[in-house]
Amino acid sequence: MNSKPLLWKFVLIGVVIAGSIFASYPPKDKVNLGLDLQGGLHILLKVDTMSAVKNEMDNRVTYLGNAMTESGLAGTPVPDYAAGAIELRGTDPVRESEVRELIDRQVGSWDIAKTSPGVFRFTIPSRYRTEIETNAVTGSIETLRNRVDALGVSEPVIAKQGRDGDHILVQLPGVEDLEKFRKIIVAPAKLEWKQMTYPPGVNAYQPPPSREAVVALFGGTVPEDTELFPQKSIGADGNEVSVWWPLKRVSTVAGSDLRNAYRNVDEWQDPVVAFDLNPEAADRFETATQANIGKVMAILLDKEVISAPRIESKIRNSGIIRGGFTIESADALSLQLRSGSIPADISVEEEWAVGPSLGRDSIRSGVSALLASFVGVMLFMVVYYRRSGINAVVALALNIVLVFGVLAALPFLFKGARATLTLPGIAGLILTIGMAVDSNVLIFERIREELSQGKTIRSAIEQGFSKAFSTILDCNVTTLVAAFFLFSYGTGPVKGFAVTLTIGLLASMFTAVFVSRQIFELFLRARSDAETLSI
Amino acid sequence: MFRIIKNPSFNFMGKRKVLLSVSLVMVLVAIGLLAFRGLNQGIEFTGGTQLQIQFAEPPDVPTIRQSLTDAGLSGSQVTTIGDAAKNEVVIRLPSAGDTAADDEQGAAAFAALRRQLGVVGEGGNDLNIVDSSMLVSKLSGIAGAESTAQSIADGIQELRKDGAIFRSFDELKAVPGMTDEALEVLKTDMTLGPLSLRKRSYVGPAVGQELIRKTLAAIAGSLVGLLLYIWIRFQLQWGFAAVVALAHDTLITLGLFALFRQEMSLAVVAAFLTLVGYSVNDTVVVFDRIRENLRNRGAESIETTINRSINQTLARTIITSGLTWVVVLALFVFGGAALRPFAFVLTVGVVVGTYSSICVASPFLILWSEFLAKRRGAAATKVPVRGAG
Repeated sequence: MNSKPLLWKFVLIGVVIAGSIFASYPPKDKVNLGLDLQGGLHILLKVDTMSAVKNEMDNRVTYLGNAMTESGLAGTPVPDYAAGAIELRGTDPVRESEVRELIDRQVGSWDIAKTSPGVFRFTIPSRYRTEIETNAVTGSIETLRNRVDALGVSEPVIAKQGRDGDHILVQLPGVEDLEKFRKIIVAPAKLEWKQMTYPPGVNAYQPPPSREAVVALFGGTVPEDTELFPQKSIGADGNEVSVWWPLKRVSTVAGSDLRNAYRNVDEWQDPVVAFDLNPEAADRFETATQANIGKVMAILLDKEVISAPRIESKIRNSGIIRGGFTIESADALSLQLRSGSIPADISVEEEWAVGPSLGRDSIRSGVSALLASFVGVMLFMVVYYRRSGINAVVALALNIVLVFGVLAALPFLFKGARATLTLPGIAGLILTIGMAVDSNVLIFERIREELSQGKTIRSAIEQGFSKAFSTILDCNVTTLVAAFFLFSYGTGPVKGFAVTLTIGLLASMFTAVFVSRQIFELFLRARSDAETLSI
Repeated sequence: MFRIIKNPSFNFMGKRKVLLSVSLVMVLVAIGLLAFRGLNQGIEFTGGTQLQIQFAEPPDVPTIRQSLTDAGLSGSQVTTIGDAAKNEVVIRLPSAGDTAADDEQGAAAFAALRRQLGVVGEGGNDLNIVDSSMLVSKLSGIAGAESTAQSIADGIQELRKDGAIFRSFDELKAVPGMTDEALEVLKTDMTLGPLSLRKRSYVGPAVGQELIRKTLAAIAGSLVGLLLYIWIRFQLQWGFAAVVALAHDTLITLGLFALFRQEMSLAVVAAFLTLVGYSVNDTVVVFDRIRENLRNRGAESIETTINRSINQTLARTIITSGLTWVVVLALFVFGGAALRPFAFVLTVGVVVGTYSSICVASPFLILWSEFLAKRRGAAATKVPVRGAG
């Protein structure tokens, strides 16, 4: 054998090591740390697309209702959510052509049917429905992105997820005040102004503490255009109490009509949220407030009344909202209003918020476990296998370097792959040490066996490697099979574990088998007359 | 040359009935433990909120329980976690049914703790809670450019990352660039709350069921995958033997897991799947040698061949398992509280898995042959091997 192939093999090894170090050094900048290690917020949201359809129906009901009132036409639009339809009841059959015209203008794209005299029913076409559902997700992402940008988080992840495309993943690394951020991000922040329906004979309404009491005021049935909404507060005993308001189903103005919102103070220096309306909504607001001076116009946030002021004079394009705000909560609401409300109901499916100090502790304990296991394995190998043990330790150290290198290079190798080191990932790396060294042990034990059968050093090494190889392959494949199922099963951190374990095992095939073999080869070249092998 | 054992010649197969009986008893005990003690399922499976909170002073768990109960959170569990010097507890709140209600519960629990420790207000001024943008705005009044305020705020956050909780304003003197003036501002404007939130986890009520389904699918998938692999590499009979050993390892480890009330989480499922892989891996090392020896065993009985194979591989089995065990033990001891249940599974599993390769999988090979032979009314003489005539 000439020395050329060996030289090239070492060049290859050198290139791989240099590449790994280049890709991953300094690890602080090159290896992406998972949220569990650097701290931050991870939220998996599910968008209730049905609610977006409901919202759209509510909006149509609002616009249609407003348009009917403006044109002086009788009739009440009533949504039938389950069927995806709105029924317009009680219209004047005499003015049907006017009603028809108005319907065409408001919901012309819907399937319209006249079900009985004076009653019309419009159903959302399915194509349009799908569009609403898709827009609900993209719109929610848009709003979330606005909020996150306004909060100034660096390198956020906001992405659609899941097979049905109705999940959104939000990851905000390095966030410090966990509670504050999550509150701002997750709240729908749907703001509405609603006029009150006064119960018959009531002029000064005192909201009673139960729904039933309100219903009783109406003599048993609440009018069709009215819904009951709670106003919550903390009572004297520290417990939450609710009072109830009968409000129009149709909102006069909604958060989407706002042009701007910001924190301000009122005459008592209490924080309030000030707002400007866009011109079109300003007209609506002016008409409504002028017609209802002295009456209550409630302000609702996420379907709860936050304040119910009496209209003192007509309001056109700007105003304030009082709601017992603190500076922080007024800031938060203004930010949410500026970035828009989330167009559908969302629920949190899974969330973890890791404080930065916990992340650092995890890194520390992960690193000490890594060192302890490496030292433990190293000691054993060197004591038990002597100089061959050193060979194994070198291979093992290379293995770790290689794992880091591949982890750092993964995004370049596979487009879109985001390799991050998580706490379970560190566990995977540590486990890799244990499993990679197994390969060395299998080889060394085999070499020992061959030596004890009286083989020469060279043939013992050759036989040892080749006979152990099929066992090593079997071992690694079985673990890889398990890792594959782990990867397809797990979320975030568990995937991180599966990835590091897989990379580690593949790397060990290179280091424990190939590199270690070349080191023996080098020894055989240097000491071709050697009669004993330190193993 | 160091040897763990010199030329071992244990008669494992001769005692196979004893060994299998011992394993059977252990598996039954484990099933009993699972049935009667039950698994301590984490919120990933049950849904709910989990708060990990660090206190400035050693927390009194019964008092915390009481104040949570007083706040109407009677289903909550409180346990201490990690290094005792860190004063940390974990509070688990079962799901109240929907996100909004769960959200309120979490906030109520945090508020109850703050009340119990005599803190009033929202925490907007709490130096152990606020983020750096808030700190900067507090410090913006001090002399020097805005960058001074920023760098001090960053320094405070950095220190907080290391120590997690401040007990006295004097600790802030360690912040690089801290001035007397800034310290004075902080002392007057801010408070030092007695607790800080280290981690908050929440899983919605609907997710857990889905996860249990996925977990079972992943475990079943990997079992079938491994069975197939061994079938291809060896023979179906070997695959069954390996899977029996596997079930044995998983059940016994699960039983001990239940016994020690370790918490079941996604990471633990990952550990179990890894154990599945490792356990087969260990079995394969022994099987590999058995197969090799079966191919040229001559007139030797199966029993002798298997015994010889196990003894030949005994040293390496002990060493490889021992090394893996050292590694997972290091993980268990040094890896921190978060990884402990994960490391527990592997620390126990590696031992059980090694035992089963020798004392369950191999005897089962013979048992199967005997069973087949009995049906034909003959003595067991062979184990099918790929590649052998």
